[in-house]
Amino acid sequence: MVLDIAGARWPCFAGIAGAFLIIISAPSLMAQAVGELTGTVTDPAGTPVAFAFVSAINVETGRALPAATATDGSYRFSLPSGNYRIKFESRGYETLEIPAANVTALSTVVENCVLAPVERPQGNTTAEQAQKAAPSTSNKPQEPSLEDLGITPSQAKGNAREQALLDRRSHMLKIHQRLGLITIAPLGATLITSAFAGGRQTSRASRDAHAALGTATVGMYFSTAYFAIRAPKIPGTKTRGPIRPHKTLAWIHGPGMILTPILGEIAFAQKSRGERVHGIASAHGPVAIVTAGAFGLAVVSVSVKF
Amino acid sequence: MLRKLLISFWLLSLPGLAWADSQWVLEQGTLTYHVSHPLHQFDGVSHAAKGKGICHDGECNFLIAVPVKSFDSGDSNRDLHMLQVTRGAQFPFVTVRTRLPESAATSATITLDLEVQFAGQTFEYKQVPFQRSVQGSETRITGTIPAKLTDFKIDPPTLLTMPVKNEIPVRVDLSWGPMR
Repeated sequence: MVLDIAGARWPCFAGIAGAFLIIISAPSLMAQAVGELTGTVTDPAGTPVAFAFVSAINVETGRALPAATATDGSYRFSLPSGNYRIKFESRGYETLEIPAANVTALSTVVENCVLAPVERPQGNTTAEQAQKAAPSTSNKPQEPSLEDLGITPSQAKGNAREQALLDRRSHMLKIHQRLGLITIAPLGATLITSAFAGGRQTSRASRDAHAALGTATVGMYFSTAYFAIRAPKIPGTKTRGPIRPHKTLAWIHGPGMILTPILGEIAFAQKSRGERVHGIASAHGPVAIVTAGAFGLAVVSVSVKF
Repeated sequence: MLRKLLISFWLLSLPGLAWADSQWVLEQGTLTYHVSHPLHQFDGVSHAAKGKGICHDGECNFLIAVPVKSFDSGDSNRDLHMLQVTRGAQFPFVTVRTRLPESAATSATITLDLEVQFAGQTFEYKQVPFQRSVQGSETRITGTIPAKLTDFKIDPPTLLTMPVKNEIPVRVDLSWGPMR
């Protein structure tokens, strides 16, 4: 009997252990698939150039990933394997490009850069160069300048660090969005299989299938949540619009995703002992439905304009 | 003698008259971009435009600047995402430059060549029609700039893996007054 109970509980334990493994290992698995690109940006005198804008452009896809140097002039990228072109830009310096840097998984490539200072932009400048070097001046005295509009050079100057923060935020939220959409599949399948797992005439196999799908859902859900929680916050931003109900609903489906598998585990054990689901375990179904409903609403809230 | 003096004075005063500049200031400006997505459409509005016009030698040069951050679509998450894709932190202002002959500034419809700096790129829009109306000392200019994301090398943002349309027309409503 004891062995039978232990055997019946095994798929559920394995499932929960699997979910925790997915949750714990998801970020580290992603980290393992990438290599490091790092280095230091200095001027010809060896002084570190802080807040320089560094772009790693994948030669095959053309996709650019931005970063800014720290106060010691250092920068660091975690990049998927591939061949990258590296562009270094900073106000008052000539733009420099390193045409090729080969990044391989689990390796670190060091590319240091010395930026030459520039006196003034001459002739036809691109908007980028013009805005960096002299954002507030106009070409002719008869033309109004940004300073004429009361915009100071410091206001007109870009902030590479803030841009890098925005880029990182968007990148993480895109992953959050994709994982959230993928999570709908196991979530739906779990709800469908619940019809064959909780009734009187249920088989061990149908319960196992339901438990496995539920476990996959929980794993996917917490991986999705990780990317939203860890996405950088932008200071001074007041939450407005559909994102408010999206965030509020997380207070329902978040605890629900913790509670549902716990209650499910108790219900699973009761069914495996041949008992009817009773006590607190009988809340497993309603809690799961509320959780799935809140999750669905959270997806809809940012997809459809009300 | 007196006649010669008068003629000399008149000749001397001509360059001064030619250099008599007039200036315009943007009293109120609203710019609205429109984005279409397969699931919905939305507008981003900014009332933070600043502008100035300098007329000199029969030609007027105008500059309008709008902070990228100031556009409000009613959704803070979407605005931050727009700020990211348009590189708004690195290039904080959208600027529009245009010039027109001073005589053309009296027509009801004016067509302008616009030089727009946005997201680190410059793009010129040729012959964009604008409507002009006068209310007291105020001159109101309205029209739509046929902007596209690709004009500024901006990757179309996506929602649920579906990208927005490339066209992002920008409606312009500017009220100019003479600088005092």
